[in-house]
Amino acid sequence: MKYILYQLKNHPLAIVGIAIIVFWLIMAFFGPSMISFTYTAMDSEHQMAAPGENGHLLGTDSLGRDLLARIIFGSRSILTVALLTSIFSTFVGVVLGFSAGYFGGKADSVFLRAMDILMAIPPLVLSMVILGILGDSNIASLTIIVSIAFVPATARVSRGVLLTEKSQEYVSAARIRGESHLYIMFVEILPNTTGPIIVEATARFAYSIMMVASLGFLGVGMQPPTPDWGMMVIENKPIISQAPWAVLFPALAIASLVIAISIFSDFVSKVLIHER
Amino acid sequence: MNRTLSILVRRLGSLLATLVVMSFVIFMLVEIMPGDVAQMILGQSATEESVAALREARGLDDPVLQRYGRWIKGVVVGDLGESIYMQGVAINSILWRRVGHSLILALTAFIMFVPLSIFFGVLAGVKEKKPTDSIVSFLGLATMALPEFVSGVFLITIFAVQLNWFPIVSVIPIGESLWNNLNILILPALSITFVMFGYVSRMQRSSMIMVMNSDYIRAAILKGMPRKYVIFRHALKNALLPTITIIGMNMGWLFGGLVVVETLFGYPGMGSLLMTAIKTRDVPLIEACVLLITVIYSLSTMITDIMYSYLNPRIRFQGGQR
Repeated sequence: MKYILYQLKNHPLAIVGIAIIVFWLIMAFFGPSMISFTYTAMDSEHQMAAPGENGHLLGTDSLGRDLLARIIFGSRSILTVALLTSIFSTFVGVVLGFSAGYFGGKADSVFLRAMDILMAIPPLVLSMVILGILGDSNIASLTIIVSIAFVPATARVSRGVLLTEKSQEYVSAARIRGESHLYIMFVEILPNTTGPIIVEATARFAYSIMMVASLGFLGVGMQPPTPDWGMMVIENKPIISQAPWAVLFPALAIASLVIAISIFSDFVSKVLIHER
Repeated sequence: MNRTLSILVRRLGSLLATLVVMSFVIFMLVEIMPGDVAQMILGQSATEESVAALREARGLDDPVLQRYGRWIKGVVVGDLGESIYMQGVAINSILWRRVGHSLILALTAFIMFVPLSIFFGVLAGVKEKKPTDSIVSFLGLATMALPEFVSGVFLITIFAVQLNWFPIVSVIPIGESLWNNLNILILPALSITFVMFGYVSRMQRSSMIMVMNSDYIRAAILKGMPRKYVIFRHALKNALLPTITIIGMNMGWLFGGLVVVETLFGYPGMGSLLMTAIKTRDVPLIEACVLLITVIYSLSTMITDIMYSYLNPRIRFQGGQR
């Protein structure tokens, strides 16, 4: 703990990043109760209202919906999906990558082959096509599909990490003791590999935000009336000359969150890799 | 050269295997898509008999494997089928022009981001821990994190809305070709450049730092060779290798990025075509686009690998681990 505080002192940028992440988390939890508009209410007399006009702090879109309310509600879905995705894809990646690397041989080559095939299609294109085909995306389908698209990357990293540990003496000791494979993989090896795996998971968090925002932008993310940051950008793009704020505020929301998380994950990787 | 050739043959073989599996998966996925193709072609008002007749005529009631075989046979001889949404227009007549547009856009972005990010990466690497380095590193971190449409929107606001230098949308007027409208390429290409700049410049920076701290560079500097010569002739040559890999690895993001950027700007490329195909549930068009993206993407990764092994004598001659 002391070490982390010491590191934070040396990386002032990381403090800013963490502060922004905390800000958005607070917004997602308590924001909706702090504002006076709902995200669907259309103020028909104030369409494309400029920021500050008639109590709309960030202005309104072409239908007269309050942008602040939509952005705050939108933070919930993107944070939930991104958080779940990074946990889920890391978990599946560790299980798959560890098993493949640990057992080696046939299992390993089948694993590598399967990952190659999954990686033959860009992750964004893969998730966009599947979500588009399934239609009617929700938090569950977004999480599952984006996780599947990310698993090749997380599994490969986990496999690589395991391979470097596998030849250590404590692993052969455990084997001679007659421990089960599962025990060796997850009780002996896993605790020694938390560093790189946490680094991978926080990096995944940033990628997930990018991906979920892009999917929303492409119209295959959360479906209306639920507000989605990415979708807000594309639905307001036609009025960008008259009401640039309707596009810029959701874009800024995405930018601030995603940059903050990248700074944070950069910090985590510096600290954890330094530690080892 | 032998090694390179054997890699080439092996990679082509695995590409073919990947494509076969991939095409089957795509076909199956589209199979489970809700909605009846025949109903979609004829519209909501069609009678039951006419729908059944069309299903019969198109062989839609045949077993899945049989239809897959038919589709694959067509693909092999270059017949991608007909678009449903566009009233039976042959996909070949729409797709290739769009692919051309996308490749031109990707190439424009490529020409922008490769020299730019290598230059700034080298600069940051040589001036490690100085202000120049901090600025370049932070810029890289920030631009890398931004999805293409976010940086695109910022670019549009500045250069199209405020300054009016470039158009807000990148559509090609009917009857004109892309060559008369080259200015529509700039903003979309810049949006892609933003993302790529982050990845590539950061990679270039760290590999430059590693090389600059190596013994042979120290020896060259101590020998009294001009610093510029050492940096460009000795260090850069070795520091470029990881960068080439990272550029290749990011081709996937580039293709995903194309879909996003083309949708944002309304640019008539392959990505926006795929997007329309998904929205209109145009099954044959989805299949054709995804298959083609897979081919182009796999080919580009393959070319990266071959280039890497060609440029790195350790792999070329001894058969390293890859």
